[in-house]
Amino acid sequence: MKTQVVVIGSGAGGAVTALELARAGLDVIVLEQGKRHDRAVTYGTGSTEGMKQLYRRRGMTPIVGSVPIGYVEGMCVGGSTEINSGFWHRTPAEVLLRWQTQFDLDGASVDELAPHFAWAEEQLSVSLSGKPWPRSTEIFARGAQKMGWAAQEVPRAATGCQNSNSCAVGCPTGAKQGMSTTLVPKAETAGVKLLDRAHVKMLVKRRAHRRITGVLGEPELDDGARKLVRIDADHVFVCAGPTETPALLRRSGIKFHVGDTLRIHPMLKMIAKFPERIDAQDSVLPLMQVREFYPEVGMGGAFYTPGHAALMLSDNWEPERMADVRNMAGYYVAVRGRGRGQVRPSMLGDASTSIRYELDNEDVVNLSNGLARLATMLLAAGATEVMPSVQGMAPIRTQREAIRWLDERLPRKAIGLTTVHAFSSCPIGERSDRCAADSYGRVRHWDNLHVNDASILPDSPGVNPQGSVMAFARRNALHFIDSRAS
Amino acid sequence: MGKHRYTVIAVGLLASAVFIFLAVRHLDIKALEKVWQDARVLPWLPIGIASYLLGHLVRGVRCRLLVKREATIGLVTASNIVVVGYASNNVLPARLGELVRAGMLAERTGMPMVQSLAITFIERVLDGLAILLLLVLGTMTGDAPGWIHELVRVALVVFGIATAAIVAGAYSPGLIVAVASRLGQKLGPRAHDRLVSLASSITNAGACLRDPRDAALLVFYSLVVWTLEAGLFVALLPIFGLPHDLASGVVAMSVTNLGLLVPSSPGFIGPFHYFCSRALMAHGVDETTAIAYATLVHLAFYVPVTIWGASAMLWYGVEVGSTAAIAREARRGNKLTTVRGVPFVEIAPAAPLPAEPEASAFTIGMVEAMVGGTPKPAAVAYAAKFVDGQIAALPPKLQGMFGAGMTFFRFVTRLRFLRGYCDVPLERRRAWTRRWAESRIALLRQLFKPVRATALLAYYDHEDVRRELLGSVVVPAASLVRDLPASAELA
Repeated sequence: MKTQVVVIGSGAGGAVTALELARAGLDVIVLEQGKRHDRAVTYGTGSTEGMKQLYRRRGMTPIVGSVPIGYVEGMCVGGSTEINSGFWHRTPAEVLLRWQTQFDLDGASVDELAPHFAWAEEQLSVSLSGKPWPRSTEIFARGAQKMGWAAQEVPRAATGCQNSNSCAVGCPTGAKQGMSTTLVPKAETAGVKLLDRAHVKMLVKRRAHRRITGVLGEPELDDGARKLVRIDADHVFVCAGPTETPALLRRSGIKFHVGDTLRIHPMLKMIAKFPERIDAQDSVLPLMQVREFYPEVGMGGAFYTPGHAALMLSDNWEPERMADVRNMAGYYVAVRGRGRGQVRPSMLGDASTSIRYELDNEDVVNLSNGLARLATMLLAAGATEVMPSVQGMAPIRTQREAIRWLDERLPRKAIGLTTVHAFSSCPIGERSDRCAADSYGRVRHWDNLHVNDASILPDSPGVNPQGSVMAFARRNALHFIDSRAS
Repeated sequence: MGKHRYTVIAVGLLASAVFIFLAVRHLDIKALEKVWQDARVLPWLPIGIASYLLGHLVRGVRCRLLVKREATIGLVTASNIVVVGYASNNVLPARLGELVRAGMLAERTGMPMVQSLAITFIERVLDGLAILLLLVLGTMTGDAPGWIHELVRVALVVFGIATAAIVAGAYSPGLIVAVASRLGQKLGPRAHDRLVSLASSITNAGACLRDPRDAALLVFYSLVVWTLEAGLFVALLPIFGLPHDLASGVVAMSVTNLGLLVPSSPGFIGPFHYFCSRALMAHGVDETTAIAYATLVHLAFYVPVTIWGASAMLWYGVEVGSTAAIAREARRGNKLTTVRGVPFVEIAPAAPLPAEPEASAFTIGMVEAMVGGTPKPAAVAYAAKFVDGQIAALPPKLQGMFGAGMTFFRFVTRLRFLRGYCDVPLERRRAWTRRWAESRIALLRQLFKPVRATALLAYYDHEDVRRELLGSVVVPAASLVRDLPASAELA
């Protein structure tokens, strides 16, 4: 018994891959480690329940290094598209040019990727909100305008967003166009068999024949018991995300440039307090991003609830500040990380992954400057206090206090960083000295093994990566279909 | 019966013969008769046997703990399974009783035979470690001969390696299965699946050691088991006019049981007498008395357990040999299976996922100390459970480091306040916790960060706290749900 294609993962990469291959007439099985959720039951039920149900390791996947970084990704049918903001960017042209130059990446010019972006945008109904902005967005726009900076509302994959403020915990309204709402149902209609709660432990291979013969998995049965099983396949697409894809490959003994070049967008969050009511907890996160310093530094709004406000304030915790929770909103500065990380299967435990990333000095400079600029902007917008997640840092109350960080460096040990963007752990390109897979995601030295998720992006895109992941995934899937036909 | 089995039996019988010869070659038969005539069996023999049988009940408790992730079995059943193994060893050569015991355990719990054997192996290693510890303690009080020290060294190496293997299986199950799979891939699909199944069963068996509290309990029970067995050896000393010397009894028990690792004839006849008598002679007892003592201890060791084991086998209708065969048959071969419509080749059962932990009193105390104002009990309880769940979700290495760090914190707290963390008044607890969480030492801040962050998140997003802060609650998700497009539109 053998299937033609096994796709591991059902996120932005896996769902696109499965849909296109099934539409091309291939027999496709998707194995997803997380659960398939009923939106009416699980989504939008609060931050803690969302973390338990939808996040890998319940959101407890720290990236270790001299500066620990909190990292979260989705683990459910739809992957991280179920818990992200839905912000949509095409890969910046200069980033694509850099990838072509540095990685000899074929078929990835702006023009070559345009139809794939257009396809994805159509599938997800990517658009601007078309509604009056919430207060937290208005304030952000006001600040950017006062500073004279380029800023814009970011298109989102969230048709008819109802401001339920549930982006990070599963959108119960179905407005957010996560994969479970869009491409997964289409893929299943096209014949894809999707098995949720099916953890893939290993790839089974025949090295002498340069072929993967199947996968070793642990699906959970309906009664909660689990079985160790093998499924044989002609082709395997690993789309398990930027950390699990390299971990799975390395656990399976496939290590050539795998998991050595993880890139992230380190993100420093801060709370801004205003004299007036913002009620950011009752609306969607701020929809604008400052583009003035793209792609090295980006600024935008963070998911906000009273719990998240407390979390962002926890580095300098004063409980009485929570009395002003309705007058506050959360914002972030994110940088295109210059550091480099590693992903390794952990020696301890059952299939856990260890992620390491060393913050580059340039990252610290960019974060410091970003803090200075964002705080200045928020104060210009009317904030009375800006409280960054930096241990021991007093609230910033004046622009003079803020701009200090244009010249000084934030103390490494005190910065509280998070990230939701990781990539480049299995970079693609024709440069065999630095790429794990060829330009279309076929893993080097293996004839029937492909990677097709955020791990393939050769380097940080500097913007929210879902658009890039989907466009590259479709391009690679269609290339695979074409190469089979020929 | 295969050729291999005959060879095993022959080697066992030969070993027994050699040890019997070594034990009695200088024996004075008349002196032995005199020793037996002077022996005063009561009340020491029943006391010794009672101590020994009580040890088997504790073995049953330990067995239940070892299999608790796989099945729930009663204490009587667990003890019977253990005793059936001992009784079978008394009638089968070369420790074949271990196979019978593993087969019965597999049959009673439904776990694979390989896993059952692995659990038996873990028990034996725990036994070995407990015996070694008792032997070291027993030899600390007097001048033990060189050969006992040599025995300790050899046993340390053997059980050290075995312990390392068990720890690797328990704490790196993914790695063990991965290695098995990669090795098996070179041998073809069938061999691959068998090897992976074997590795999976072994790592599942080691799951009982992953909880530090369970692991500590297993070690504790093992020490109790062997202390009670030492009770048999100590109790029988006065029968031959020897003093109640704890060290002599403990050393005799330890040396004898380490000696029984040598495969021999049914009931360990030969090695038992040789090692037991030599251990006693090392404490200055003459050879004749030592042999008489060894013979009596062996009878006390052999007869009651064989009767108990035979009765248990009759009760359960177990036939020696068939149990293992049944268990093997039930688990033999890979079969095709379908899970939610997706077809697979089934290799082995996998360990179930751990359940979400309940909030500990310590975590509740921490959450109270971290939030502001008068803590709301329901929100604190919810947040504490969330925190414990989050900590349990950390990667194993970080979880271990966190556990060690918090143990240190609790220890320092006890030293500082002369009471447990939760018994420190709330305001002092708050100040103390804050001092650590905002310490100048980055490592301490990092230790508290996951607790503080998750506790604050869960507490301030709890309905009770939100209502107070905002005058509103989370809108029920169901009220927001919109329908998906019809499937026709999806195609």
